[in-house]
Amino acid sequence: MNHLPQGWGRPRDDVYGAYDASYLQNSGPNQHTQQPVVTGTSVVALKFKEGVVIAADNLASYGSLARFTDVKRLRTFADAAVVGFGGDVSDMQYLDRLLTSLDTEEAYGTTGHTLNAHNLHTYLSKVFYKRRSEFNPLWNQVLVAGVDQEKKPFLASADLLGTTFSAPSLATGFGAHLAQPILRTLAPDEEAAAGLSKEQAVEAIKECMKVLFYRDARSMDKYSIAVVTKDGIDLRENEKLEAQSWAFAEKIRGYGTQVN
Amino acid sequence: MTSIGTGYDLTNSVFSPDGRNFQVEYAVKAVENGGTSIGIRCKDGVVLAVEKVITSKLLKPGANKRIATIDRHMGAVSSGLIPDGRHFVSRAREEAASWRKVYKTPITTSDLANRMGGYLQAYTLYSSVRPFGITAIVGGWDSERELPVDGQVGSGPSIGAGGKVEGKKYGGPGLYMIEPSGLYWGYYGAATGKGRQTAKAELEKLDLAAGKLSLEDGVKEAAKIIYIAHDDNKDKEFELEMTWISGLDGPTKGRHEEVPKDILEEAERLAKKALEGDDDEEEIKEEDKPAEGDKMEE
Amino acid sequence: MAAMFSQNPLMNGPNYSFNQTPTAAAAGNKEHAFYPYTDNGGSTLAIAGEDFTIIAGDTRSTSGYNINTRYQPKVFKIGGTTSSQDDANIILSVVGFAADGEALKERLDAIVKMYRYQHGKPMSVKACAQRLSTILYGKRFFPYYVHAILGGLDEEGKGAVYSYDPVGSYEREQCRAGGAAASLIMPFLDNQVNFKNQYMPGSGVGHDLQERERKPLPLVEVEALVKDAFDSAVERHIEVGDGLLMMMATKNGIEEKYIPLKRD
Repeated sequence: MNHLPQGWGRPRDDVYGAYDASYLQNSGPNQHTQQPVVTGTSVVALKFKEGVVIAADNLASYGSLARFTDVKRLRTFADAAVVGFGGDVSDMQYLDRLLTSLDTEEAYGTTGHTLNAHNLHTYLSKVFYKRRSEFNPLWNQVLVAGVDQEKKPFLASADLLGTTFSAPSLATGFGAHLAQPILRTLAPDEEAAAGLSKEQAVEAIKECMKVLFYRDARSMDKYSIAVVTKDGIDLRENEKLEAQSWAFAEKIRGYGTQVN
Repeated sequence: MTSIGTGYDLTNSVFSPDGRNFQVEYAVKAVENGGTSIGIRCKDGVVLAVEKVITSKLLKPGANKRIATIDRHMGAVSSGLIPDGRHFVSRAREEAASWRKVYKTPITTSDLANRMGGYLQAYTLYSSVRPFGITAIVGGWDSERELPVDGQVGSGPSIGAGGKVEGKKYGGPGLYMIEPSGLYWGYYGAATGKGRQTAKAELEKLDLAAGKLSLEDGVKEAAKIIYIAHDDNKDKEFELEMTWISGLDGPTKGRHEEVPKDILEEAERLAKKALEGDDDEEEIKEEDKPAEGDKMEE
Repeated sequence: MAAMFSQNPLMNGPNYSFNQTPTAAAAGNKEHAFYPYTDNGGSTLAIAGEDFTIIAGDTRSTSGYNINTRYQPKVFKIGGTTSSQDDANIILSVVGFAADGEALKERLDAIVKMYRYQHGKPMSVKACAQRLSTILYGKRFFPYYVHAILGGLDEEGKGAVYSYDPVGSYEREQCRAGGAAASLIMPFLDNQVNFKNQYMPGSGVGHDLQERERKPLPLVEVEALVKDAFDSAVERHIEVGDGLLMMMATKNGIEEKYIPLKRD
């Protein structure tokens, strides 16, 4: 999986040859979703001693057009977990409704037991796998952050193919290339992650958001960040990268026709 | 009873010559035998409470809940035939879920009451069915913030065209009571079941229309009312079951939840204490008052 | 299928498992827009001994040149009655498309559990092997994109290893390597387990050469072979590494062992 959601779930160009875009035309037989339309870019997350920090920017792109700039891609689930969505935004909205109804039905019971992040991840991955097996995928890669049944930090990924994995730090899309190396130097294994404080983790995630803002063209400086611990969720949806700006770009001289 | 032998009470949907529907009235009788249920609409939330009569020592204490969650922000309690109450809840859940599916937003308490009122009324129209043997109290909190529709991702314009209306007040607590006939009204305080007369009298004392009672105090009042409405002499032991729904800034964050154990126990302790205090005074009065129970059976 | 498990002689360049099919577009109509498979890399290995079976797999999960995680087991106990699977007697390894592997494992586990509850005894490895083949063939036209290896002790207490292709063709074998580095490990196994190309010193030349006599290897030696095989695979294949998870089935049950591998 790379940083281009358009490429997810497709045969790799270097393996199968260049993709023939004529297949994307809508004429002909009824088709399922074959490509994401409005997309969100990276989600990054890191475990620390008591929980998990997760972040994603507030941009939804329409191809290279920065189409929606106020899109909240971190969704909470019953004070127990945060799901960070990359990929297609309409599929994210569908999944959000699915999780809302799951939460509602879960609350019918009187035992007070709500699903934890681990349960939620299993549920989501089965939804993804079922839909890919019907050749009607939900075009997302998601990170599920929270605590498990033993109240220990939980972080795992699930994607449109039903592939799942878990690690002390995770990043989707471009973040897998740019953020993950930064996070892995800080938390190479579970023990190292368990030694991180909340402040350290938040700082590392913010640093990743900064790098992504400068090097991922489908990103922006407004983002959402959440800290999940056994005590609940602290979600901030309108953070801004401090003192960061692309304004310097117009002063750059010496490229192309602009020789001085 | 006037109807006996006239034949107008033998089937549903048939009027008597003086314009009554006896099957519905019999359903009301079924309600009047059930444990007392009440609801209080406070300024910052709603409390639901029920007197759960213990029918057997073999039942596990605290199990077999009587108040149900309909949607995240809404609960219901009923007096009367318990299985009818269960069906009411399951239908209400379907209505709430289908509302969400269509409108992508949670159903308001008044809309749910309207849907359920219509549903119960339909059960008075056909000879193949009987009316619901319950009166249900539905309590909910309609979000005070302009709610995003389910799955919505942006917040839209903050003001002006397509944005929010400045100064408009959204949402708040809602409390409705739905009777076997399908009749429903919105209430500041609602009571049904065996002890409803006493409970209503107590509710009236609270001056709920003033909108001053807080949710925390409402919980204590609700517990007290259930204890007062319970008839020690005639009835078996009972359990108090209570749920609440607060605003988004309150203790339940807009959700319908059970009242936490410590708060429930404190409210029960206060209720018992108040009752003991009352007993001392009322023991003298009780003699010159007609027995409460007799009145109710009329 | 061939893409994953055979070496294509027409191919040039490095043999990464996600790059093993011809790069030229096939002639004629190509009808796909969503491709439901991916390759998560990694390798597995199973060896049957006289009275034991070892199945091992690395714990790296990849996607292209990315490492998804350094710890995702590919070897599982099957059919135990507890969440820890302490009383299981069968080992399954799956390598290839991890989501299919997980789904296959869950299905087989559920079936073997049901067998145990219905018949009041654990399933034999032989029966389980046949059942696994049936499951795989059941999805003949939308296969589980995995190379599965099943192992345990047979009815006589001897080590048993069964290996499968993605559509359920299977065979009982002495040893088998699967996944990305299968082609690196398998010849090593042929030589070290089945003594292929080993001859008795001084037994003559040409047709007089006598093959070295095969004898069953003890557990400690097999364990060392497995470690060596993976250490070598890690050196030469980018999709293999991070950790090695081994499961050993003996008459005392299944023992689990984790050894770190290079993480580069």
